[in-house]
Amino acid sequence: MKLSKSLVALPLAVACIGLAGCSAGAGPADDDGAPAGDGHGEIEGAAEVAEPPLGLISVDAAGAVGLLDLLNEEQSELGTVGAPLGLATDGRYAFVSTDDGVEVVDSGRWTWDHVDHFHYYRADARIAGTVEGEGPAEISTGMLSTAGSTGVFFAGSGEAVLLDNAALADGEVAERFRIDVGAEDGLVAPLGEGALVSDGDSLVFHDAEGEATGTTVPCSDAAGSITTRVALAVGCADGAILATATDGDVELEHVPFPDGAGSDNGSDAGAVTAFAARKGRPTVAGLTEQRGFWLLDTREREWTRVDTDQALERVVAVDDEDGHVVALDADGRVRVFTAETGDEIAATEPLLDEVTDSVSLTVDDQRAYLNDPSAGVVHEIDYAGDARVARTLETSPAPDFVAEVGR
Amino acid sequence: MRPLRCAALVTGLVAVSVLAGCSAPGGDTPQIVVTTNILGDVVGEIAGDEAEVTTLMKPNADPHSFEISAQEASLMESADLIVSNGLGLEEGLQQHLDRAVAAGAPALAAGDRIAVLDYTSEEAAGTPDPHFWTDPERMIDVVDAVESDIAGIPGVDAAAVGANADAYRAELEALDQEMVEAFAAIPEDRRALVTNHHVFGYLADRFGFRVVGAVIPGGTTLAAPSAADLRDLASAIEEADVPTIFAESSQPDRLVQVLASEAGVEVDVAELFTESLTEPGEGADTYLTMMRTNTERIADGLSS
Repeated sequence: MKLSKSLVALPLAVACIGLAGCSAGAGPADDDGAPAGDGHGEIEGAAEVAEPPLGLISVDAAGAVGLLDLLNEEQSELGTVGAPLGLATDGRYAFVSTDDGVEVVDSGRWTWDHVDHFHYYRADARIAGTVEGEGPAEISTGMLSTAGSTGVFFAGSGEAVLLDNAALADGEVAERFRIDVGAEDGLVAPLGEGALVSDGDSLVFHDAEGEATGTTVPCSDAAGSITTRVALAVGCADGAILATATDGDVELEHVPFPDGAGSDNGSDAGAVTAFAARKGRPTVAGLTEQRGFWLLDTREREWTRVDTDQALERVVAVDDEDGHVVALDADGRVRVFTAETGDEIAATEPLLDEVTDSVSLTVDDQRAYLNDPSAGVVHEIDYAGDARVARTLETSPAPDFVAEVGR
Repeated sequence: MRPLRCAALVTGLVAVSVLAGCSAPGGDTPQIVVTTNILGDVVGEIAGDEAEVTTLMKPNADPHSFEISAQEASLMESADLIVSNGLGLEEGLQQHLDRAVAAGAPALAAGDRIAVLDYTSEEAAGTPDPHFWTDPERMIDVVDAVESDIAGIPGVDAAAVGANADAYRAELEALDQEMVEAFAAIPEDRRALVTNHHVFGYLADRFGFRVVGAVIPGGTTLAAPSAADLRDLASAIEEADVPTIFAESSQPDRLVQVLASEAGVEVDVAELFTESLTEPGEGADTYLTMMRTNTERIADGLSS
């Protein structure tokens, strides 16, 4: 089932993971300024474990929440939230959009990234609380679940809220700030002690109190944000903004699409509507409304365009040694590409009858997970092994929405 | 020997263990604050009764991420000496170290007193490796530095500190000699650590081991593995030609089984102590015990 592919631009940039000069703490979630006592990996009641304590949080249409342990397939019930409209995750929390706002489910499972190695933690899972607001909500997450912040933009009320992750880790929903942006489309993405907030035409850095600063950069139609260990990336009509905050010093850099590939000049590439990658990895995949996908290397600050024979519904960069990119097409097939050449190397049979908004595709360093709400299962795919379906997992409650946690 | 995984139960953010003396900090006894529990043990041996040593990191903790209380931060600022690992190990604590130094506390970063190696792994290549303690010779260099700094604290009996340091240096030299002998029994072509532990660069450099970094398949892979999942690890094991790998895994038995059934590789899995001392009786309650336990596991694992 191999399909011929062509690379449109910049083969050099593909899958280039910077090898030198990286150091721990260089990411945008750098927490140097945190006050004493902030949870920084180590949390009361948590146990360090030997490997990522992977699990799936599932939420059914009625709002029942459960957790499936992916290591031993034990299932536990966590309670009930409102009927879900959407779900986002940072690899620990599930942020469930409901009519009341955003309900935060803490899986109690997370990974702490030290660049040269990782530490893994497990604590009790719980429903942490509700961030009130008028949905739908757009969630932007950071690198660490125990420090820094999480951004929630409520399209219904035009409010941008920044949540304190350290408080969340303690089971408390605490807002660092809540500001009225006055726009229906927006985005608030955590950066250093504050956040980048979209006002439609530009991104403005707001400090920890929510005050707008003079640090701003043009970015029309901001859509999609992702935090890597290198930078925060936010998609704009003409490319992306890469943002870093080191010791309170915020830098915003515009990385335009390569010539001839932007959405405003009639080519077929299209702007990014969503970024996705294995957690923290520097190279991320960008979904567009056109065929193909983008790869953005946040370390080299370069875009690479990969064409495909049809439009994709989801696309996630693994950014591993082989440069795997895992995608879902409209026929419900999972397709695996290599970043280096853009070639498709494997694909599944159609796994879903229909790709609805509640379908999510997530990758970790070993497997990909795709929920099938109508069949009530989650497919675990060995993307590096010929796109083999390794397990078909039944969750309770049904996986109308899922979040892979422990990452 | 069945490798033990010490459950690193983290029970609180505050972790003061007073190793020498038992009175509350203060009074006339010189105060030394040490960040990691490995260095806390070493510094306690050298200080003996001449100073009160407070170790911030408790047993079974992670040196990168432990946190301290406001009281401990203020203790640091008034300390007669602060001993840290340095080289970026105590990430979460660096701001407190900087503040204490700015407040005038004398500080010794052990990493500044040794010959530093860089990491060799791809992602972190070129950055200094802070895990010098896996080489006892380098720990002797640290002892020299600590001895001289403690001896310089007013009110300390330098001769007593010198005697303590001499005695501990002799212990480290004996340890070093034991390690040389234990590792000499391993056939030279088997001196390879196939591992996902990241701390053994100094040990490898000192005792002539190759470190073969390996990705250990996790629980989700072991639940439904294919030969392809095990290819990298199996080929690393075959290339290194070792009977034991040193891996942190939540299911070591399952890993052994799967390697045998899916990849035809017969190998044992042993775990080593890496960045933290344990509670007494758990195999690594002092620096010397930790090193001896690891030495025994490596020598047994690779000689069998």
